[in-house]
Amino acid sequence: MQKILGKRILRDFKDNLPRYLALGVMVVLGMYIVISLVAAADTIIMGSADAAKAQSVEDGQFSLFVPMIGMERQKLEETGIIVEEHFYMDYEAEDGSVLRVSAIRQKIDRARADAGRLPERNGEIFLEKRYCEEHGIFTGDEIWIGGHFFTVCGIGTSPDYDTPYQNLSDSAVDSSQFGTAFVNSPDYELLKEEGCSMKSEEYVYAFLLNNKLTDKELKELLQDFALSANDLDNEYFQEYWERTGGRLDDNFDTSLSKLTQFLTANNNIRIGGAADDVVINKATGLFAGVLLIILISYVISVFVVHTIERESEVIGTLYALGVKRTELLLHYMFLPVMLTLVAGTIGTLLGYSSFGVKMQMQDVYHYFSIPDFPVAYKLYLFVYGIVMPPAAAAFTNLLVIHGKLKKPVLALIRRGQKNVRTRKVNIPNIGFVRTFQIRHFFREKRTAATVFFGMFLALLVCMIGLNCYVLCEHIRTDSVADTRYEYMYTYKYPQETVPEGGEEACGIMLKKEVLGYNLDVTLLGIHPDNPYFDASVERGQSHVLISSAMASKYGLETGDALVLNDEENDKSYAFTVDGIVPYFAGMFAFMEIGSMRELLGEKEDYYNMVFADHALEIDSGRLYATSSKAAVEKSAAVFVEKMWSLIIMMVIVSALIFVVVMYLMLKVMVDRCAASISMMKIFGYRKKEIRKLYLDGNLVIVAVSAAVGIPVSKALMDAAYPYMVSNVAVGLNLTFDWRMYAGLFVSILILYLISTPLLMRKVNRIPPAEVLKNRE
Amino acid sequence: MYLEVSKLKKSYGEGGSFIEVLKGIDLSVEKGNLCVIQGTSGSGKSTLLNGIGGLDQMDSGSIRVDGKEICGLGQDGLSDYRRKNLGFIFQFYHLVPNLTVKENIQVCEYLSEHPLDLLELLETLGLTEHQNKYPSQLSGGQQQRCAIARALIKNPRLLLCDEPTGALDSETSQDILVLLEKVNKKYGTTILIVTHNNSIKNMVDQVVFIKDGKIQKNYRNEQKVPAAQLEDL
Repeated sequence: MQKILGKRILRDFKDNLPRYLALGVMVVLGMYIVISLVAAADTIIMGSADAAKAQSVEDGQFSLFVPMIGMERQKLEETGIIVEEHFYMDYEAEDGSVLRVSAIRQKIDRARADAGRLPERNGEIFLEKRYCEEHGIFTGDEIWIGGHFFTVCGIGTSPDYDTPYQNLSDSAVDSSQFGTAFVNSPDYELLKEEGCSMKSEEYVYAFLLNNKLTDKELKELLQDFALSANDLDNEYFQEYWERTGGRLDDNFDTSLSKLTQFLTANNNIRIGGAADDVVINKATGLFAGVLLIILISYVISVFVVHTIERESEVIGTLYALGVKRTELLLHYMFLPVMLTLVAGTIGTLLGYSSFGVKMQMQDVYHYFSIPDFPVAYKLYLFVYGIVMPPAAAAFTNLLVIHGKLKKPVLALIRRGQKNVRTRKVNIPNIGFVRTFQIRHFFREKRTAATVFFGMFLALLVCMIGLNCYVLCEHIRTDSVADTRYEYMYTYKYPQETVPEGGEEACGIMLKKEVLGYNLDVTLLGIHPDNPYFDASVERGQSHVLISSAMASKYGLETGDALVLNDEENDKSYAFTVDGIVPYFAGMFAFMEIGSMRELLGEKEDYYNMVFADHALEIDSGRLYATSSKAAVEKSAAVFVEKMWSLIIMMVIVSALIFVVVMYLMLKVMVDRCAASISMMKIFGYRKKEIRKLYLDGNLVIVAVSAAVGIPVSKALMDAAYPYMVSNVAVGLNLTFDWRMYAGLFVSILILYLISTPLLMRKVNRIPPAEVLKNRE
Repeated sequence: MYLEVSKLKKSYGEGGSFIEVLKGIDLSVEKGNLCVIQGTSGSGKSTLLNGIGGLDQMDSGSIRVDGKEICGLGQDGLSDYRRKNLGFIFQFYHLVPNLTVKENIQVCEYLSEHPLDLLELLETLGLTEHQNKYPSQLSGGQQQRCAIARALIKNPRLLLCDEPTGALDSETSQDILVLLEKVNKKYGTTILIVTHNNSIKNMVDQVVFIKDGKIQKNYRNEQKVPAAQLEDL
């Protein structure tokens, strides 16, 4: 019997081809975007992890004032850890960009060639790939560095510069201005001897702990590597040392140690950036996928219910003849399950094709310095893309069809003869057309609810893209608008007096966990009348004001308790939030500078940061970092740029899905009225009049659905969004401008009006004899 | 007796809307008989047929078909009962619109282990030339013939017809009745016809009149007239 009914399936498919095609396209699009996004993210995450393992990525690194002596090295080696020199020097290339040159590594952070090979002979150089892409350099080319020509023997990556920031304080990567390079050891020594580097050699050591020591134990060991102040010829250090009586700033131990910096891989912004970056894409993709599957299941269930209701008498008759419920259940499930299976498979294959996963990875490859990873084919994604849609369709159908087919045989057979109970609604005298539309609405209120729910689910998918857009847009605009300073200087060796024109501040970097991610928060001591932050801080060591970015990210409000952790020194600071400062450019907690100095045990004139509205004359040797408003602007723009393709894709695909869903739902509404419309035609109503009666009333339903659906879906998505961007240390300003709400509302109405001719065509095709045919 | 109905009761509604449709029906039909159940609208004739067909649960009483009690069977049991024993013909044909005549019949062919020969049945019912047409391409009479073929293909022992000519003109009605008579003779099928058409009683073996939920008359028709000779249909 299934074989015979199978013929009906094929004919039903042909008869309703536009509907099934629309549904299929929706599944294909949905699975394409989900699979491509998530597969790209998985490829980057897995590829980065594999590359890190294959290239022996460091567990961390430390910098020393002077290189280790033999005894110190022996002491470290005895612990069983591996330490390797990663000394480097920066050179200015011919175009003014900076190349950071190191000797080729043997044990840790080994370079990997995408093209060519590693340097083997003198005069050969291996360059980082993003720098080469920006400068159009290929293997075999020659470049001029430190007074020598080098032949580019290879181009590739090293895992310690996956995100090639020049300085750890940088907020954006600029591969047109900075790249890394490796030469063999003799060439490195030669360059060092000639002394043409931009600044002195940096004594960086990378380490692998091999489970022999913890970070903390290693750091303590390194802090014992003592140094005589006289060994250092750094004038700023000497001046600061004399003035402070032997106290370096809070990042260092009070005794004079060789250690200038200790950085674990987890805290190194240059390592694992690509994988971290795509976490948001993966979360977005999976979340969108769940919504899409719910939406698809819902649309299918509406179709099936409609079909079963239409064929109720036939089903009842077949029951009466002995056909079993299970047989019909399987029959009605077959088409939606097969359709979603085929469409899901196509979507998944498209997602894994060059138009999918590889395209999605382009943004990452254009920003991060990572090898060309082979596409990761994960079983769960195949299950997600191929099995989930039909499984969801089968499950939904099972629930819906089972309920419908459970009706008594007679109830099914007599569907057309039953009396429909209608609610008694008194309508004032508002003319026949309006009255008819209202009556029609009450009669079809369940279908109206179906349209609303379908639109609402499609709006949720839309909101993922739109929220992503506004988040990026707010980061771009708010960060710049809220940054009132032109320059922010962070000191290594502060001057005795604050440079003229500068506003002193005292800052330390602390950590706070949110949704499983431990993010940086700056605790900033400022004067109440400082011109750069609207923070009227008051004295008190346990009270802070927080930036609005921080408040939104951590869900904090005035009066809440706030605990910030100093992981370097194993300390925690507890505060009460006294207020929220309108500042979206970063995660900041503000306190009065005097109280902050007391909290840190510093002198009353201590400062380590200076803000200014113009460039100050500060010797660069005193500084850790200089940040400018331009840099903030640039990093915000980069953030938006990285997300742009995701936004565009999400918005376009979700808009397409929205149109398809709205059309399909409204078409079901028209189908349900077919008998009634044909009756009107028999009465002599003209097309325009029928349109007024049956379609114009839908505009109200669509408008009401949009008016309710937009704010509700927005509120739900706002609640879900923190989980999707939990790894990103940015404020979550997801506020829609009123014009955006209005634009969205009007767009939906326009989409409806565009789809009206299609619906009208459907109405026009309903023959006047339809009502007779149904009654036979 | 092939069919035995005893003290069958059925009511609908509660309180003010309570209505007792069948008030203790007793009825027997012999195997291979052609039986008509007549009555005015609302008399309970269709309810009785639905009860015999296992389409509606009865309040009390007994229905035995070929010695087997069907009152009290669950949905699955009723489904099996219908599958093995019954053929149904309704006033409205309820054919699957996007299956051809032949395919509509084949839907039920697979329900039986010993179906009738499809081609022979098509021939018997005059559907051979229409077998590849869709229901929408057929006249009402042709559609009803298709519905009869669908009901007969699984070779049911009991054929229940609810107003089988209710939607047809008199000429087509006669054709259908001739067919039912032919089926009754050829296959020995016991046939129950519910109708309010008074002429049909002349062609059957047994006539049952129902009024207000009770059997008013139940007699054997000793002067059967062939369906082809019926008048005033």
